[in-house]
Amino acid sequence: MIEELRKKAEELLKNGTVKVVFGYGEGSVPERTRPVFITKPEDVNKLTWNKYCVYNLTTYLKRQETRKLGKPALILKGCDARTIIVLLKECQIKREDVYIIGVTCDGVGDPLAEKCKACDVHTPLIYDDLVGEKRENKEVPFEERYAELDEYEKLEEKDKWEFWQKQFEKCIKCYACSNICPLCFCDRCIVEKNQPQWIDPSAHPRGNLSWNVTRAYHLAGRCINCEECQRVCPVDIPLNLLNKKLAKEAEKSFDYRPGYNIDDELAMSTYKEDDDEDFFK
Amino acid sequence: MSKAEAKPENQFEPKIIAFLCNWCTYAGADLAGTGRKEYQANVRIIKLPCTGGIDPLFLIKAFERGADGILVSGCHPGDCHYNSGNYHARRRWNVFRPLLEFCGINPDRIQFSWISAAEGGKWVETINGIVDAVRELGPFESYQKLNTIGPETSGGAADASSETG
Amino acid sequence: MSKKIGVFVCHCGTNISATVDVEKVAEEAKKNNPGVSYTTTYKYMCSDPGQKLLRDKIKEEGLDGVVVAACSPKMHEHTFRNASKKAGMNPYHVEISNLREQCSWVHPDKPTGTEKSVDLVRMMTEKTRKDKSLNPIKVPVTKRALVIGGGIAGIQAALDIADAGHEVIMVEREASIGGHMAQLSETFPTLDCSQCIMTPKMVELAQNENITLYTWSEIEAVDGYLGNFDVKIRKKARSVDLDLCTGCSSCWQVCPSKKIKSEFDMGLGKRTAIYIPFPQAIPSKPVLDREHCLLFKDARKKNIPPNDSKVCRKCLDICPIAPVKAIDYTQEDEIITEKIGAIVVATGYKELDDISMYGEYGGGKYKDVITGLQFERLASASGPSEGEIQRPSDGKVPEIIVFIQCVGSRDPAKGCSYCSKTCCMYTAKHTMLYKHKVHHGHAYVFYIDIRCPGKGYEEFSLRAIEEEGATYLRGRVSRVYKKGDKLVVLGADTLTGSVVEIEADMVVLASAMKAQDDAEKFAQKLSIQYDKDKFFSEIHPKLKPVESSSAGIFLAGTCQGPKDIPETVAQAGAAASKVLALLSADELEREPVVAKVDRLPAPIFSTCIGCFYCQRVCPYGAIESEDIKARDGSTIKTVARVNEGLCQGCGLCAATCRSKSVELAGFNDEQVYAEINSVEFN
Repeated sequence: MIEELRKKAEELLKNGTVKVVFGYGEGSVPERTRPVFITKPEDVNKLTWNKYCVYNLTTYLKRQETRKLGKPALILKGCDARTIIVLLKECQIKREDVYIIGVTCDGVGDPLAEKCKACDVHTPLIYDDLVGEKRENKEVPFEERYAELDEYEKLEEKDKWEFWQKQFEKCIKCYACSNICPLCFCDRCIVEKNQPQWIDPSAHPRGNLSWNVTRAYHLAGRCINCEECQRVCPVDIPLNLLNKKLAKEAEKSFDYRPGYNIDDELAMSTYKEDDDEDFFK
Repeated sequence: MSKAEAKPENQFEPKIIAFLCNWCTYAGADLAGTGRKEYQANVRIIKLPCTGGIDPLFLIKAFERGADGILVSGCHPGDCHYNSGNYHARRRWNVFRPLLEFCGINPDRIQFSWISAAEGGKWVETINGIVDAVRELGPFESYQKLNTIGPETSGGAADASSETG
Repeated sequence: MSKKIGVFVCHCGTNISATVDVEKVAEEAKKNNPGVSYTTTYKYMCSDPGQKLLRDKIKEEGLDGVVVAACSPKMHEHTFRNASKKAGMNPYHVEISNLREQCSWVHPDKPTGTEKSVDLVRMMTEKTRKDKSLNPIKVPVTKRALVIGGGIAGIQAALDIADAGHEVIMVEREASIGGHMAQLSETFPTLDCSQCIMTPKMVELAQNENITLYTWSEIEAVDGYLGNFDVKIRKKARSVDLDLCTGCSSCWQVCPSKKIKSEFDMGLGKRTAIYIPFPQAIPSKPVLDREHCLLFKDARKKNIPPNDSKVCRKCLDICPIAPVKAIDYTQEDEIITEKIGAIVVATGYKELDDISMYGEYGGGKYKDVITGLQFERLASASGPSEGEIQRPSDGKVPEIIVFIQCVGSRDPAKGCSYCSKTCCMYTAKHTMLYKHKVHHGHAYVFYIDIRCPGKGYEEFSLRAIEEEGATYLRGRVSRVYKKGDKLVVLGADTLTGSVVEIEADMVVLASAMKAQDDAEKFAQKLSIQYDKDKFFSEIHPKLKPVESSSAGIFLAGTCQGPKDIPETVAQAGAAASKVLALLSADELEREPVVAKVDRLPAPIFSTCIGCFYCQRVCPYGAIESEDIKARDGSTIKTVARVNEGLCQGCGLCAATCRSKSVELAGFNDEQVYAEINSVEFN
């Protein structure tokens, strides 16, 4: 599969289809990989593929440094490719401006990443080329997909509050979560707006609560569950639990899952007349 | 400032901020006034053109400012002055409310209602309802007592209201 | 420089001061707020002297912000803003604290009311501090109206507007104007002939110099906004040059395709492939039905240009116009664009014609089960039977006729819960027309209720029963089936509690008025709202009955809901008067409460990232995209921009924008923030 990837990359670079290939390279130790940006056909041997390729490379689509390299081909797992669908729908990229080398995937991480446990996109839903043997994308039941939330949803109100306060207390407002997120693409994050300053930028518990809640809310109906925010958090806040909770609510209430269908209506920019309103008085 | 004499001593008086749309609920509250319908004085109204224009950030800010409870209220479905503003608002609260609940905020502290310009009575009921419910819950101390001192606190952040409860 | 704010606390007689310590409110307003440079209380702020006080103090004290603590802003915000404007202050620096409706009238305990009032004043003071000057948005007006639909509603509206001296463009999708009213035989409650009152109006319209008529044309697209619409009209290929044609009738007399069902006669009569829909058509010039024309059929079959087909060219050959014939097989659709200031939508209704959904009534099964409009055509002197009531199956005059009301209306089980409003009256009329033509015949009517709430309507309906001898039976029909050449109608008479069985010769279904098939799509084209039954929605059911949800677009007639002719004409006149009010000004002034997407110096240009959520949520299509270009013409960034003409100021975009790059004037981020931030409970 690695050979196939390298051949594909070489071909795309040689024939000028793309200027750069975003892929995975070997890391400092065998259990790690790192993103590589291949611009020359002779460098394609730097590309690798293994179960440690956990990152979502679509995040580099929003960065000036990598944008400058020209039209990219991205090596994307099924989960990562969902990002592309959201980015297309949110007018952040044009389809013709990216080349997608989809890879089929049976899960990454060792131990297996949480996001892989209920994967239903072993084969990407959008790609220009597919590398690897096609897998069936079996539907996973709703409950199973959000099973991780159960133990937290069951907590008493007070315990929930305490749990999250303990987590948020640790936040040092380094914004690694939003920096890595491929869907946090605002030029000016709301936290950077200072007239008025809706969210206190300093790292104290009150400001941390508003930041973390807002960050998650801004991903409602958008997050594709790549877990990158959580992976990069230096203080190990389980950020993806918040994202997942919102994803669950969006699916429950609006029957919507982002990144599956290029033709759907974005959950948070549409409505149905019979949307749930049991909680309205 | 002194509390009203009529009230039981030491009774906790919750602070409620209400975000209302201009066309329905604000007018409904006016109607309650015109009808001299008495209700509890714990609510402070912030008027916006439409519930669709209410950003969840407003709610977070209201809690930060010391609100014990928040009401968001607008036109009934189908009656929005801007056709679909309240529908979009409803979507937002459909995800935002469970998010806060997930973080341990009692959902009774954030209430939503549809109150038309003709429903002065419903306004009174709703306000008395939320005031009573939040009084029952007690002051939102857990939020209000959140520390505002961090490693690099900026100037004007520590402007928490003084806590009475 | 910080603002100098004045706070004016009104006693409202004793309405406020009885339960709010107004002096204390004024005192606290100053104490808590260094920006408040002047405070006072006054007995009646809204009175002339009260307003003068406000004006004087603005000048004397050099105020650039004002809080009036008084009654609801719905009462006097406008008053105080105007007064401030007169004093030379931008009116949008005035805010109202609603002490009366929110404090004094609802909190009888004085300390409580006072405490809350102090809060409310502080909140508005803080908002005022962040108020920005706003200026009314001026929109130029194109003094030309568009009327869509050439039925009685459209004709009335167009004539009213044209008679006032304005240009009108009328677009009608059929080959002739006239609409459904032209199909009716006689009209209730006077029984005057519809053609006799309709056709003169049609002629009047055609002859009016201010009116440009496009028939066989449809609306392709509507862009722009109030006062400045750009309307694209598709002139469908008619195959007849209207400038050359004299309407001499030669062509349709020679046309060999004579067996096409006439739409005008509701399928009961026949027409040719080149035809005029009815003798009094305006324009009285034909259209070629390419669907049925032998030449076009042949061309389609052989996949050749129509002009190459030689199957039949009888109409072209006989056309006496020379040297260029008026018939042109090569004509193509043409798109024309018109600038328009205001629009009247008068697209009418469609009769429930799929009566097969009423199979239990024999709808769609039996030829002699017909609709209300079909009966109109049978009864019409210019109809297929020249006014004689004949059964479609065998031409026999029916001696027993059964009318069934509420077909496609008041029937939630069939998805149509509304009342079609006109059927009770037209059925009563039908029984009379029938009785006048078939003296020995007998008419039965099955009804749920008889609804005739119009002038002379009750009497008319009673006349049908008492004088003309129609038998009214209260109850539903369960089944209609064929027995020999009779139609057996099985129904219930709920008043006597008996089952009724009638052997009828013909059954007429009082079929409901439905929204046009394409109503939904059409509404979306115009960005107007529609209801659950696809009728277009007025913005307020009582106070704004002809205004659509889009400014500058008005509704007339049955496109808005079932109604009869007098009501339609009245509504058309109302819509016309709204249009005239708009066109009477050279410029329109609009409240400047509109959204704006930020623009910043290079290299940022705007914090907008162009995700266009705002565009998706905007109910008015007011968000456009703008390419920010570099000097070399390349696009640096695509961002959102608000069209101020279309924006209605709801703020949906602002609340949807994650980076808060779009704000609503009058309720901008800083203002709302200041309000929330100033809430201080004690």
